[in-house]
Amino acid sequence: MNKPFAAAVLISALTLTSCGTSFPADPDGTLDRVSGGVLRVGASENDDWVTVAASGEPEGSEPALIREFASRLGAEIKWSVGTEHVLAADLKHGELDLVIGGLNDETPWEKEAGLTRPYTESKDSRGKTHKHVMLVAKGENAFLLELDRFLMAKAPK
Amino acid sequence: MKPSAARGAVRFGHTELPEEQRAALRKAVKFEWITLGFLAASTALVYAVLGNSQAMKAAWVEDLLSFLPPLSFLIASRTIRRRPSEEHPYGFHRAVGIAHVVAAVALTVMGAYLIVDSGIGLVTAEHPTIGGFDLFGQTVWLGWVMILAMLLTAGPPVYLGHVKMKLAEKLHDKVLYADADMNKADWMTAVAAAVGVAGIGLGWWWADAVAALVISASILHDGVRNTRAAISGLMDKRARTYDDAEPHPLGSRIDAYLSGLDWADTAKSRIRDEGHVFHVESFVVPQDGKMPSMEQLESARNACIDLDWKVQDMVIVPVAELPAEYLPGGAASGGES
Repeated sequence: MNKPFAAAVLISALTLTSCGTSFPADPDGTLDRVSGGVLRVGASENDDWVTVAASGEPEGSEPALIREFASRLGAEIKWSVGTEHVLAADLKHGELDLVIGGLNDETPWEKEAGLTRPYTESKDSRGKTHKHVMLVAKGENAFLLELDRFLMAKAPK
Repeated sequence: MKPSAARGAVRFGHTELPEEQRAALRKAVKFEWITLGFLAASTALVYAVLGNSQAMKAAWVEDLLSFLPPLSFLIASRTIRRRPSEEHPYGFHRAVGIAHVVAAVALTVMGAYLIVDSGIGLVTAEHPTIGGFDLFGQTVWLGWVMILAMLLTAGPPVYLGHVKMKLAEKLHDKVLYADADMNKADWMTAVAAAVGVAGIGLGWWWADAVAALVISASILHDGVRNTRAAISGLMDKRARTYDDAEPHPLGSRIDAYLSGLDWADTAKSRIRDEGHVFHVESFVVPQDGKMPSMEQLESARNACIDLDWKVQDMVIVPVAELPAEYLPGGAASGGES
């Protein structure tokens, strides 16, 4: 009974992937828009992850990763520097594509945003382990998968 | 799982099971353990890839709830073996009905909760986020893994359901029937969840919530149907077949047998279903108002008990005329078909 159904699901899914349509696709087309366009990144200062230079340009390990990611997509970065609170709200309302700030997978913004896979770990001074993630707009799964793939390839093994 | 005291003497209360039912019970216990094993594996697998999909969450909750009927069955099938005692003169057969109500209410509550939960997701246009998953060093879309997990868990319950359905008929066990019925429909849940996730992949954020609603509705439907069946069982509704499809034919067989006795004029019974076995009260009007002898009554009772293993707890009451207050509906007896 379930075999024909299963086959139908698989075949339709496979057909769609091979048609060149991105699978998974972004409901709001983030990946398409960003590729060769503008990547809007929110950065919140946090330790060595994100620091903001006197010039106003974000520096640190995460901005470095994002610059490389953007150059792969042929995208220009438009930075917004602010507190997590403001950036998460901007992300939720589609005014940003990505938020960084040395966030971990216990981030309270999980309700407002999609999380990448934890791409690295760190230990704080109290010995607690943090699994680091970045935030993307909810449901933009093609963009998220692209970022996940990039971060996984970069992840220190 | 080991059979009670003397092998070969498996009892439900004081009813000794015939060989066919004994074998069916052994097999049912075995298959319920297999079901529990499968469920443990499948809930663990689905939990590992749950992600942010509401449909997967609903399917997972259904898997968790699927533990209840087999557990109820296994617990009840032990409890009802206890013999009737002074404090429990009717035995412990109702354990089955109680287990049934508990499982059914859990289904109903969770079904209703999931409908609200999924409905909120749909109304607030929640876009489910599903990203990458590390599969042996490769980053693949987690959605593929979810779909694979759902399709893997879709098949086995269908088989288990078919086997248990046959056993439910032999044992006249409604908990086993409900369990088998849910198992048989389980593949639809799995496929619905897989379709929901595939929909997310196509960029249809709503597909997930819609699939979750479909699954929740099926859980609620199962819950309401089972609650109704379980409660009407406890309310001493007239005995019906294991699938509640029709009144149990045993009633008319008993009435026909008793009416056909040479000392009897007419007979009607009322029968309640205690879980596996029946309580039978048969009212017999003797011919010409002549009281039957003790031997005649005894042999009639024994003959009825021999009709079917489910009849054991039986009383025959000679009456001047059929008491309408105990046999409402006139012609209809306890189990006329």
